[in-house]
Amino acid sequence: MKTTRIGQLASLAVIGSLVLAGCGSDNTSGSGSSSSPVAVDCFTGTINAEGSSAQKNAIEEAIASYGKACSGAKINYNPTGSGAGIKQFTAGQVDFAGSDSALKTTAADGGQTEAAKAEAYCGAPAWNIPMVTGPIAVAYNLKGVDKLVLTPAVAADIFAGKITAWNDPAIAAVNPGVTLPSTAIKVFFRSDESGTTENFTKYLKAAAGGKWAAEPAKKWTGAGEGKEKSAGVSEGVKSTDGGVTYVEWSYAKDNKLGVAQIDNGGGAVELTGAAVGKAVAAAKQVGTGNDLALKLDYTTKEAGAYPILLVTYEIVCSKGKDATKAKSIKAFLKHFASADVQKSLEGIGYAPLPTEVETKVLAAIDALS
Amino acid sequence: MSTLTQAAVEPSTTPPVHTDLTGMSGRRAFTDRAARVVMWGAFLLACIPLVWILVSTLVKGGHMLLSGSWWSLSQNGITSRVVGGGAAHAIQGTLMQAAVTAIMSVPIGVLTAIYLVEYGRGRLAKVVSFMVDILTGVPSIVAALFIYALWVTTFGFQRVPFAVTLALTLLMIPTIVRSTEEMLKLVPNELREASYALGVPKWRTIVSIVLPTAFSGIVTGVLLGLARVMGETAPLIILGPYTKSMAHDLFNGLMATLPTMINQDRTEALQPALDRVWGAALTLILLVFVLNLLGRFLGRFSKVKN
Repeated sequence: MKTTRIGQLASLAVIGSLVLAGCGSDNTSGSGSSSSPVAVDCFTGTINAEGSSAQKNAIEEAIASYGKACSGAKINYNPTGSGAGIKQFTAGQVDFAGSDSALKTTAADGGQTEAAKAEAYCGAPAWNIPMVTGPIAVAYNLKGVDKLVLTPAVAADIFAGKITAWNDPAIAAVNPGVTLPSTAIKVFFRSDESGTTENFTKYLKAAAGGKWAAEPAKKWTGAGEGKEKSAGVSEGVKSTDGGVTYVEWSYAKDNKLGVAQIDNGGGAVELTGAAVGKAVAAAKQVGTGNDLALKLDYTTKEAGAYPILLVTYEIVCSKGKDATKAKSIKAFLKHFASADVQKSLEGIGYAPLPTEVETKVLAAIDALS
Repeated sequence: MSTLTQAAVEPSTTPPVHTDLTGMSGRRAFTDRAARVVMWGAFLLACIPLVWILVSTLVKGGHMLLSGSWWSLSQNGITSRVVGGGAAHAIQGTLMQAAVTAIMSVPIGVLTAIYLVEYGRGRLAKVVSFMVDILTGVPSIVAALFIYALWVTTFGFQRVPFAVTLALTLLMIPTIVRSTEEMLKLVPNELREASYALGVPKWRTIVSIVLPTAFSGIVTGVLLGLARVMGETAPLIILGPYTKSMAHDLFNGLMATLPTMINQDRTEALQPALDRVWGAALTLILLVFVLNLLGRFLGRFSKVKN
């Protein structure tokens, strides 16, 4: 009968497409990055992580080099933002979270703190392990201006919407000899909850001497137009003359945006890996024991230290819920923190962990169980 | 039904012009021409975005599809700065999830439609029909959040590909019910009556007379519904995080799909990642196109003559 023939045909089509699709395979050979294979502790299985988009490029690089050495290991990282990452982590949806700021130990709304939620989920304290240090660039797109210096006070006024044109006397005062056009300033900010926003507003609050009134937070409180994620704001600036934003250095580099020099009072500092390293080394540890939450000194006047930066953490259970998973996470993080991988990150806009911090990080990873 | 509307839209041959009955012929000819211009204009206007989308995806993503590795490799171990890898993981994920969605929603949808057309009388049928109407109007993000609330918040499960198919099923059932219903209504009542007259019970009449007659229409409806849910993105973003590697397990781990592959790198500035986004978009368009063609082909191929 006709029906059965059609039925056969349809099922043949469905099965055929499934079989065809099933032919695909993972390319285990890998390609690209030139770093020599390092001795790594391999695991077989899958780790899922989610969080900060600031460390997306860094962790992608680490995953690629780890996968090259260990073909049985699958690590997924979804760059959905620090806030989302921590939420999914405490809800038990991912194995570790990437965040641009350490877990909060005070709750804004008087409820359970992030740290307490994470501890409740883990059954043991969750540790903040600094893994990637990324400078935040004040990236701009202004025709004819290749060199721009900003002081924290001027930056605060720009991002609060108080200075609205590039030829404002306040900007001109810190840029002697530069011809500034009268283009309107167009501020772009992160519309999603972001650790980058939090770190940048922390800097403005600390360094701008009262010019920035709002409390630092993951949600933007200043002026401007919202764009999604790091890539969104850099795209916004790239396509707008007069645009300015705060974004991780790697995104500013990839989009070939202008990067402002920052003058904290000790002279204008250009954004370089060395300038960032100087600032990270000066950071204080505020976590206890192996919880390596750091406090950065945003007001540093040290010559040659670039003050706006973020440290992105991996947030992990100090005592894993599942022993094999915990071992896998440990193996991967160890690889991520290794000197070779850290060094390879410099080429893509991150600064390697300073040696003394790296030693502490490796000790903390060793203590995971 | 589609053929009917098509016939109505197509400009028919000009009716014989009565030259000088009222002296209005000039006006009528003008009206005719004006209507024609407006209709063609509207048609061309509707075509602009379609052609634009097709051309730009072809130009920007076409070269990706030409390499063999696009169809056979995943993105495992590839970063957004490196050229290489393929979309096999996402293509497979999309097809697998679509197949499972169809397996779940086709029986429910078709049986509901049979009930509504053949058996449904009174209050229950009205309520069912009303509920289907409501389901049709549910936005995909709401269906996704409903499944998230049920699957993750209430039951405490992990986000797995199967949860995605549940949300897609919610979206697909009403379209199948509606299209099947229309097809069953088109089956002439004389066929049913003739069957009853021969003493054939109702259920046999439905199974061997009504369903075969409407079969091609039902299949077309199912394939069109499938093509629609394959491009659905909201449930995937909420319930099915992206992964770069191949996955075969619907109940464990993550599974990549074409929409999430597009979403992953859509705001990226690096050329290799951008190429992949366009490539994935073109692949998705192609898949949906093939399904549509298949639907029409099956519909024509199996037409039952009245």
